[in-house]
This record gives sequence, C-alpha cells and structure tokens, in this order.
Amino acid sequence: MINAEFLMLLGGIGAFVMTLYWVRVRELRERYAIAWLTVATLLLLTGLFPGALKGIAEWAHLSYPALVLFVALGLIYLNSFFVSVSLTRHYRWNVRLTQQMALLEERLRRLEGKEAITGEPQVETDVTSK
Amino acid sequence: MRHLIVIPAYNEEEALPQTVARLQGLPAGFEILIVNDGSKDRTRDVANALAATSRLPVHVAHLPINCGIGVAVQTGYRFAVTDGGYRYVVQFDADGQHDADYIPALVAAAERDDLDLCVGSRFICDFGPGSRSTPARRIGIRFFAWLIGAMSGTKVTDPTSGFRCVGPRACRRFADSYPEDYPEPESLFWCARNRLRVGELPVRMFERQGGVSSIRKLKAAYYMVKVSLAILFDRIRGHELPALPLPQPTA
Repeated sequence: MINAEFLMLLGGIGAFVMTLYWVRVRELRERYAIAWLTVATLLLLTGLFPGALKGIAEWAHLSYPALVLFVALGLIYLNSFFVSVSLTRHYRWNVRLTQQMALLEERLRRLEGKEAITGEPQVETDVTSK
Repeated sequence: MRHLIVIPAYNEEEALPQTVARLQGLPAGFEILIVNDGSKDRTRDVANALAATSRLPVHVAHLPINCGIGVAVQTGYRFAVTDGGYRYVVQFDADGQHDADYIPALVAAAERDDLDLCVGSRFICDFGPGSRSTPARRIGIRFFAWLIGAMSGTKVTDPTSGFRCVGPRACRRFADSYPEDYPEPESLFWCARNRLRVGELPVRMFERQGGVSSIRKLKAAYYMVKVSLAILFDRIRGHELPALPLPQPTA
C-alpha cells in the first residue's frame, strides 16, 4: 500500500540514482553532488524511520505529509538561494574574463601597430627560454 | 602627466564621431579609451576609424557582448590600472551630453582639492533650459542626493551625473569592484562611505546627440528601487578602505 513513508523511500532511492548517474557522466560536480546525496539520504532515512519525523510532526502540531512538505520547501529554498549565489559568482567571473579579453585585444592591436611601424617584434614569443 | 578619458559606447555610431571630435581640443596628456559595449550597430568600425585618425591617442576596447554601463566603465578603470601611468580617469558619455570644455576644469579641481571623485554637477549653476534633465528625473536625482546625504553625511547635488573625474585611490577600487547597472549614485556613495574625498564642479550639459538612453520609462521604477536598495545595502557594510590621513596644517 502506498503511503507518505513509502513515497519518501522511493524519492530517496530516485534521488540517489539520479545523483550518481549525473556524477558518473561528469555533468554534475562532486561538490554539488555531496549536497544532493545528503538530500537523498535524508529522504531515505525519513522513509525508513518514519517514527523520527512523526515525533517532530507531533511536536510541531503538523501532520506527517505537511511536515514533509515543509521540509521539502525548506530544502528547495536553500538550494535556490545558493544557486543564486553561485550565479552571482559566475557572473562576476564572466565579466572579468570578458573585460580581460577586450583589454588583451586592445593591447595586441596596439603592439601589432607598433610592430608594423618599427618592423621589430614587440613581444617575446619564445616563452620557453625564460 | 597623463589622464584617461573613458567613453562607454553602446550603439553610438551616430554620436561617437562628434563626441571624439569635441575632445580634440584638449591639451596633450589626455588619452581616450572607447569601450564598445557589444554594440549591434557600426560602433565598432566607427571607433576603430576614430582611433586611426585622432590627434589625441585613442584606445579601443571591444566587449564581445553587451554587459551594461557599469561593466563598460569598469573596463576603462581596469585599463587605466593595468596599463598604468594615468593620474586621473574622466568618465565621459558618448552621446554628446557632456561638454569637453569642462574636462580640464574637472581635473584641475580634483588636483587642487585632492579629490578622489570630482563630479560634474548640472545643478550648481543654471546654464539654461535643456541642461538640467526632465522634471521627473530631477525628482529622482534629488531623492538620491538626499539619501546619500542622510546615509553618509556627504552633500551632493547631482549624484547621477556620469561626467566625473576619478583619482587613483577610487580608480583602483573601481577597477576591482564597480556596480553593474546604474552605477553613478552607488559608486559615489561608496566613496563617501569610505571617507574618500568627494567634490562637485558646476558643468553645462547638452541634450543627447544620438543613441538611446539606458534609463527608459519602464525601467525608471526598477532604477529607483535598485539604486536605493544598493545604497542601503552598502551602508551596512564596514569600511573597506583605511581612513585617510588628516590634512596637515600649512605653515
């Protein structure tokens, strides 16, 4: 018979399989996989030992499904928040790379211009000799 | 002594030649950097052509995608810091609103008063109609001036002016970190909050000669909220620069 505990168990197993698959095909970095494996473990534990969560539900005057929903929303919120943090960091990196590329292009154009006038190379190309 | 004039340009193929032409009257020592912010029109070709023909040295940095005014301006500060040798960096709009005749005065005021940020203000002197923005914008500008004053104790009249002269200390900081969009009030507040010396100089401004303003009607509400929040957020940060030495009494 399907109940909330059984669904939690299925969800935990599904989360484990999905996380391991995406790590295996190198589409999910290990550092993010750790967080998702933690979520999967939590789901499994609450499915295997529903008594623990039921105790918290009674203490909070909530039903078991309502508490599960509350915990799930909390996890989704945390995940979304840290995705926003990660996006901010990546935006900053992208900006820095874009600027660096534009400035290097400008420098290259300037050096090529000087080289065309003097006929002498403006930069050392053999970096292995250093 | 060399100074750099940074011109951020997004789709400014029409106005850019006239803007650079107006700068040709500046004395030796001034150099120009045009930052093409991923323009979709012919700004890239126009800027390259201007670099080849200008009397003053013109550098051109092409951002491959449109990153916004803050990133474009910051590219100029990064150029000034990495290339080295520039004393002051002057921000100057590509759309022809700013009057090049005031650039030496801005630099001189920054030097004379040892300012880290000298802002060209439209509201200290009345230069006639068309020079002071629209009434709706003036309300927004006054609000930001009040907010910055209340949060930092620094009195300014034109916090949204993009015509400004930046000294080495602020330049190094802006090269490292600069607001992404609508950066002027926030960057001014950052300077004031970190006890850098901020001043203003009356300047005349013109109507736009071409291109499109980065602040349109639909974005005005977002602009007000975003900049206000950015200032309030910045207020809760600690000082990010050591305190400046006190001025020495003159004998």
